[in-house]
Amino acid sequence: MTKFIILVILLGIAIFISIMIGPARLTPDVFHLRLSRVILGIFAGGILAFCGGVLQGLFGNPLVEPYTMGSASGAALGAAIGILLLGAFKPLFAFGGALAMGMVVFMVARIEGGLLRDRLILAGVILSFLCSSLVMIILIIGRRELYEVLYLLMGYLGVVINSENRAIIAGIIVIAIVITLILYRYHRELDIVSQGTDTATGLGVDTQRLSRIVFVTTSLLIGLTVSVVGAIGFIGLIIPHISRMLFGSRHRNNLPAMFLLGGAFLLLADCLARTLTVYELPVGVVTSILGAPFFIYLYRRKTNV
Amino acid sequence: MTEIIFALDAEDLLVGTTTFCDYPEAARAKTRVGDFSNPSLERIVALKPTLVIVNPPEQNRTMNELRKLEINLFVSAPSSLDSLYQDIKSLGDIVGKKGEADSLVNYMQTSLVALPGGGRRVYVEISSRPLVTIGKASFLNELLTRAGATNVFADIDDAYPIVNQEAVIKKDPQIIIVLHPGTVADRTGWQHVDAVKNRRLYYDIAPELLLRPGPRLVAGFEKLCRILND
Repeated sequence: MTKFIILVILLGIAIFISIMIGPARLTPDVFHLRLSRVILGIFAGGILAFCGGVLQGLFGNPLVEPYTMGSASGAALGAAIGILLLGAFKPLFAFGGALAMGMVVFMVARIEGGLLRDRLILAGVILSFLCSSLVMIILIIGRRELYEVLYLLMGYLGVVINSENRAIIAGIIVIAIVITLILYRYHRELDIVSQGTDTATGLGVDTQRLSRIVFVTTSLLIGLTVSVVGAIGFIGLIIPHISRMLFGSRHRNNLPAMFLLGGAFLLLADCLARTLTVYELPVGVVTSILGAPFFIYLYRRKTNV
Repeated sequence: MTEIIFALDAEDLLVGTTTFCDYPEAARAKTRVGDFSNPSLERIVALKPTLVIVNPPEQNRTMNELRKLEINLFVSAPSSLDSLYQDIKSLGDIVGKKGEADSLVNYMQTSLVALPGGGRRVYVEISSRPLVTIGKASFLNELLTRAGATNVFADIDDAYPIVNQEAVIKKDPQIIIVLHPGTVADRTGWQHVDAVKNRRLYYDIAPELLLRPGPRLVAGFEKLCRILND
């Protein structure tokens, strides 16, 4: 319990820093602007970390997360198609992209009677590249500028909020929180499955059904998140690990902790992204710089064991 | 550049353009060699041009390749109106339309004359996701200055910098010119920006009138002046 209080305090500090720093003096308008940014940050960081944790639990692979599994890039591809066809960001397209890419990766990794866990990552990374290229082609054909592509593929919290998208974004956040809560109810099943699917079946957990539920809901969550802020990488990798170090492997405590930590982490990364230079960097640049070495470290440790 | 060639009445000499060259209508009928920043080298070579006009920095790669092939180049990267006039005159000499070039420059010079102005603070938005505006190195910055206004981001050296919403609010522009299809009026946090409060938001200038160095800058400039004196 004290650990949770510390986490909440940490998130509070991250919120405080995010509200206080920036190029302009803090006026009520600037406060609104930063507050909406904080909300987006907690939402996106929390959801991505949560999805990473759930997927890692389901597949028993510590390297799985929305970005390395290809679903984040798939969502970006879906969003790009939406932009090209309808001229605006469309959450359902992003969801479709995330789901389709997740399924392709899943099929590549599936073998008779199980999954090749390393293949998940390999297929995910390869398909990620493919999606990024397709996003590039689509947006160039659609005569969009290259920076728009970049910000979609790397993530960006400085979204301009106006009357056209305000209600949509609020709706997306509410729906995503509801789905997250629904997914959280499966924490016991996830505990059991992460011990191994054989044990799980023995204990009466329908792993097939659980996999399907997790797959569809995480794709939906990733799609919703990416459609608003773009594909932000590695949060779903770093945060669940830190959270497991602090809270052990039980998903009951772990998943809420991941959400809080993910939100705090993304807020702090965003503070760096918008204050390091006079430009506004895509926040994914910061998370990737921190995340890539972490991935390599985990990968080496995992293969050594 | 294509527009300048047409204005010089030298379009018969033009064998190829990029997909970016969409004005005047007849320019679309020319052979396309690719898009503005990634034209196909093979297609260019296949046209057997005696001269290729290149625009760095976007076409740097193409320029270097063409240089290796020893194809005659006219490098045009005007950073100011004066350098644009210079380029038009040089091009006029090359295509044998000296008189046309002189009168075009003359026309532009007399139309784009610097006006005194109250130095109203203007913010130009090229894209909203992310926010892209104009900096000191852009053409439009000079045009705004000539029209008697001040670009609020003239302190940034780049031509088209990406900026933060807070930075815009801090600059508190009096006029906002929007060069993309989105809106500005109802953004969170923007309500007390001078231009938003006073409804001085302008959406109806075609971006190519302001962003393309060519004869149509005159039309863009006239629209700018009208906005500033609104």
